[in-house]
Amino acid sequence: MGDVILTMKGIDKSFPGVHALDHVDLEVRKGEVHALMGENGAGKSTLMKVLTGIYKKDAGTIIFEGKEVEFANPREAQSHGIVIVHQELNMLNHLTVAQNIFIGRESMSGKLINDAKMNEEAKKLFKQLNIDIDPTEKMGNLTVGKQQMCEIAKAISHEAKVIIFDEPSAALTEAEIEELFKIIRDLRKKQLGIVYISHRMDEIKVITDRVTVMRDGGYVGTLITEECTKDDIISMMVGRVIYEDPKTESAVPKDAPVVLKVENLCAGKMVRNVSFELRKGEILGFSGLMGAGRTETARALFGADPKDSGKIYINGKEVDIKSPRDAVAHGIGYLSEDRKRYGIVVGKSVSENTTMASLLEFMKGLFINKKKESSTTKEYVELLKTKTPSVDQLVVNLSGGNQQKVVIAKWLVKNCDILIFDEPTRGIDVGAKSEIYHLMNELAAEGKSIIMISSEMTEILRMSDRIIVMCEGRKTGEIDISEATQERIMHAATLRD
Amino acid sequence: MGDNNKKGNAFTNNPIVRAIGVQKIVVVLVIIILALFFSAMSPAFRKYPTLVSLFDYSYYISFMAIGVTFCLITGGNDLSIGTGMICYSLFGGYLITKMHVPVAVGMAATILFGMAIGVINGFLVAVLDIPPFIATLGTMMVTRGLGSIVTGGMSISWPPANAANGWFRSIFKIKGDGKMLPVGFLLVLFLVIVMSIFLNKSRPGRYIIAIGSNKEATRLSGIKVVKYQMLAYIISGFFAGLAGIAYGATFQSIAPGTGAGLELDAIAGAIIGGTSMTGGVGTISGTLLGVFVMSLLKTGLPFIGLQANWQQIITGLVLIVAIFIDVLKNKRAERR
Amino acid sequence: MTKKAIMTAALAAAMLGSTIGAATVSAEDYSDVNIEIISKGFQHQYWQAVLLGANNKAAELGCTINFVGPNSESDIADQVQMLDSAINASPSAIGLAALDTEACLDSIGKAQAAGIPIIGFDSGVPGAPEGAIWANAATDNYAAGELAAEKTYEAIKDRIPTDGTVVRIGILAQDATGESVVNRGLGFIDKMAEFLKADGHSVKLEGNDKYVNDATCETSDDADVIIETLVPSAVTSELSAIDCQTLLNKDDIIAIYGSNQHSGEAMVTGNENLMKFGQDEGQIIGVAFDSGAVIKAAVADGTFIGAVTQAPVSIGEHVVELACKAAHGEDVADVDTGCQWYTAENMEDPEIAPNLYD
Repeated sequence: MGDVILTMKGIDKSFPGVHALDHVDLEVRKGEVHALMGENGAGKSTLMKVLTGIYKKDAGTIIFEGKEVEFANPREAQSHGIVIVHQELNMLNHLTVAQNIFIGRESMSGKLINDAKMNEEAKKLFKQLNIDIDPTEKMGNLTVGKQQMCEIAKAISHEAKVIIFDEPSAALTEAEIEELFKIIRDLRKKQLGIVYISHRMDEIKVITDRVTVMRDGGYVGTLITEECTKDDIISMMVGRVIYEDPKTESAVPKDAPVVLKVENLCAGKMVRNVSFELRKGEILGFSGLMGAGRTETARALFGADPKDSGKIYINGKEVDIKSPRDAVAHGIGYLSEDRKRYGIVVGKSVSENTTMASLLEFMKGLFINKKKESSTTKEYVELLKTKTPSVDQLVVNLSGGNQQKVVIAKWLVKNCDILIFDEPTRGIDVGAKSEIYHLMNELAAEGKSIIMISSEMTEILRMSDRIIVMCEGRKTGEIDISEATQERIMHAATLRD
Repeated sequence: MGDNNKKGNAFTNNPIVRAIGVQKIVVVLVIIILALFFSAMSPAFRKYPTLVSLFDYSYYISFMAIGVTFCLITGGNDLSIGTGMICYSLFGGYLITKMHVPVAVGMAATILFGMAIGVINGFLVAVLDIPPFIATLGTMMVTRGLGSIVTGGMSISWPPANAANGWFRSIFKIKGDGKMLPVGFLLVLFLVIVMSIFLNKSRPGRYIIAIGSNKEATRLSGIKVVKYQMLAYIISGFFAGLAGIAYGATFQSIAPGTGAGLELDAIAGAIIGGTSMTGGVGTISGTLLGVFVMSLLKTGLPFIGLQANWQQIITGLVLIVAIFIDVLKNKRAERR
Repeated sequence: MTKKAIMTAALAAAMLGSTIGAATVSAEDYSDVNIEIISKGFQHQYWQAVLLGANNKAAELGCTINFVGPNSESDIADQVQMLDSAINASPSAIGLAALDTEACLDSIGKAQAAGIPIIGFDSGVPGAPEGAIWANAATDNYAAGELAAEKTYEAIKDRIPTDGTVVRIGILAQDATGESVVNRGLGFIDKMAEFLKADGHSVKLEGNDKYVNDATCETSDDADVIIETLVPSAVTSELSAIDCQTLLNKDDIIAIYGSNQHSGEAMVTGNENLMKFGQDEGQIIGVAFDSGAVIKAAVADGTFIGAVTQAPVSIGEHVVELACKAAHGEDVADVDTGCQWYTAENMEDPEIAPNLYD
């Protein structure tokens, strides 16, 4: 490790209602790979966005190569030598590799672009990085791994001094990760400073020199990778948060019947051989880090995405779910994480939303029986304590929590016995949250079975009777609530094969 | 994954085939097959005047198609070119025949009018962020009405070939001693070459492709996407103006209120030639080939005695097949 | 604004020009009459001539007219809207050349209820409910088609072989839905068949089903004269020109008749490269309908042997006159405004020239 090239000190950033970064420090030296770790929402990406000028910091200093800097935009950061290799690659698939690398600064001969020269330069660049890619190949024809190599090459060609890798290995194969690491080591040798954001504990051990851990927007500490264990890092990541009345034991009777059984469900890369059971009256929590494949599992189960293989049994009988329509017919309701896109029609009234999934029951001949519709809706508004001036109120005018209640009512009207709650309290304020929790408990007590996908550890520990943990599309843990701790969950959530 | 993206057969992996593009080769084959088929079925189709007519009627669509290809490549569209072409042609013809300006001035005005509408389209799409389909649908209606207003609702004829100011017709066809030379085709070829070089070898062309490929990534690369997106619509307007001149030179009179639907012939030609509706992909030479498929069908089908409605059905089917190929290509790309 | 500009221009022309074909000069004072006239638009110069006649007559009778029309002949909805606003202006009478009677029915009912008399003109308002249209000032299109057939037959009579060799006569029609265009075609077909039969020939019909089915003439499958009607799938210059070429390229073709200005101009475009129309031996006889600079030039230089013109000036005059009379409660009856055959020789004649427009 060489001299310090980048220091971020006391970085503070607030968004309305959220203190996203609370005096965070980060120091990167030349020739080091510095891991940045933390749970979902710990503030890693926000910190990098502040660094590259996407966000403006509220307080703190950034010192780069001994001088205080503040970049106006990523382009300015880039011109100073700080480059991000994004998880979501920004590729121009229809242009060639060389054209991508040199976009915006093409080699010209007169008025015309000199593609031959750009290919030559790209070839040199790849040779320098020991990468084998044809510069004349169309970017869209490359694998994600190769595309990432190109992005790195592009960064190098900008004479980068600090390169930030944002979860670079998420979409790569084993072999591609090996190649990536070779390049990263090479860059380290060339005295570049590297920030490596990842969830993968074992990668951190393999490739990084130091680890900085963040939690809830705050700085926890920096460790030398060689001197710490995986468990050290995990305990720093989860911290010691006081959880509001966590469940200590399952409320489900031992002999409760299995209402849903999923066997070896496979759907694309994000759902691999997932099996689990759901009992009557149970709240089954699905935990895991971002991109663990929980929502994908739910969507495959619900028939929203095609599944490759696997069997689903409802009340002991095998069923064939090919579309959401089939799932609904079998009594499964899905409350999407993105309510506005998939859950409700905001421009329609409470009653229209409530009866949407079961409109056939409200028909009188060719017309909708408005009276029956509104009386049923009223019933559920009272039952769920939905705060709305009337059933004719447009849903767009309700708060997030009450919108969520309308979606719940929709599935209850449809008589769904299995409800999938995908991030049920996202974007809902604290008061409404506990109401939703209360409602879920009530539903479970009445014999409804609930699958709850949540990224909030608190929520998982407070609501679940049993917890399934996923990592990269696989089930990596199944923990009864009586034995659940955040450490155990986090351990399972970072288990790679 | 590894190398499976290079899968394909001996044909698609052949370097020459790869350089020209599979779709273009297929389209050339389709053109040859259609030409042979019509020639075999109808002796009249084999005659020279038929070829000349085929060229005559292809110029205005070719020009519109070359222009709209740029919009399509940005991931946009320009529906205003059909009614626009008629509007510009009416305007130019009106200036020449009623206001008695020199033909060259009238021609320049025709093209400038087209570019002005192009600026408006570009502004609506690139600056105001109105979806191209809607924005140009709007200007399509506007140009339709404008054409009528300019001429007071009357149809206009550009000066006939034998008139003193009819020289402009020999840009497209030289006639004399019972001989005809469809020289307009040379102009089309010239413009195809120039615009191909512009698209593939100039910075603006490169950025137009980049915008269609991934607008956000292009913006993040520090490229002024608004400027280049607008440029695509101005190019489209320029060529719609040129098409207006070709139309005036080919047809006896231009009726206000017409032109709707002609843009679809041009867009269909571009798509048959391999331009993608989703942006990022397209070649000018492919567009020209696609236009020739359309023109061959339009001219050829009546020669084999097919009733008008069948012409439309067959043309429609060809278009659907071409778009389907586009969809297949996109799906395959997505799977990677 | 532009509309006004045209009207002033036309009015000025009217002052200078002579008033020809004015039927009866009425002593009655019509200065209290205001007429809303809804035409089919101004796309074809034909309508400028109608407007000229209407303005002439209005000046003569002292009534006021408001002459409007949609942008193109496919803007049916626009025309209905114009009719509605005309009714709302509660004029003394309305002149109407309906693009689509069906679409106008509601509005016609409203006018009837409001007691506003409607006078049909040009192709009139075919199929309107009984009593809704007080009178029509229209060309008898069927008779006009017959006139075209008669003149065509004179030219081809000696070219039809007597040994049974099959020859073909082509008709280019803009569409198979417009009443006037269809009748010009049917009149042509029926009359032509009649002439042919009289000279010992027989006829077979080909092409567009509407024309084949609606013609009333006798046909036989092994006939020696084929009459083929082509209708493009859309009204564009290009498609009609290609249709014309298709006909010109047939070995057995001897004559082609284009039944309106659009088709006539398409014949000129279609002939551009083939150069087959003419009057000499071996050339194909071309007959057109209506005028306009292009068709007039083609008649004048002998490309076409001649064309049928309606009397648009007279139509314009009659619609105004009928409307004035109807407004004053006088009896009105249909007027056939007639048609004329013009050739290179008689184009300049005073009884023809005013009906030919550029």
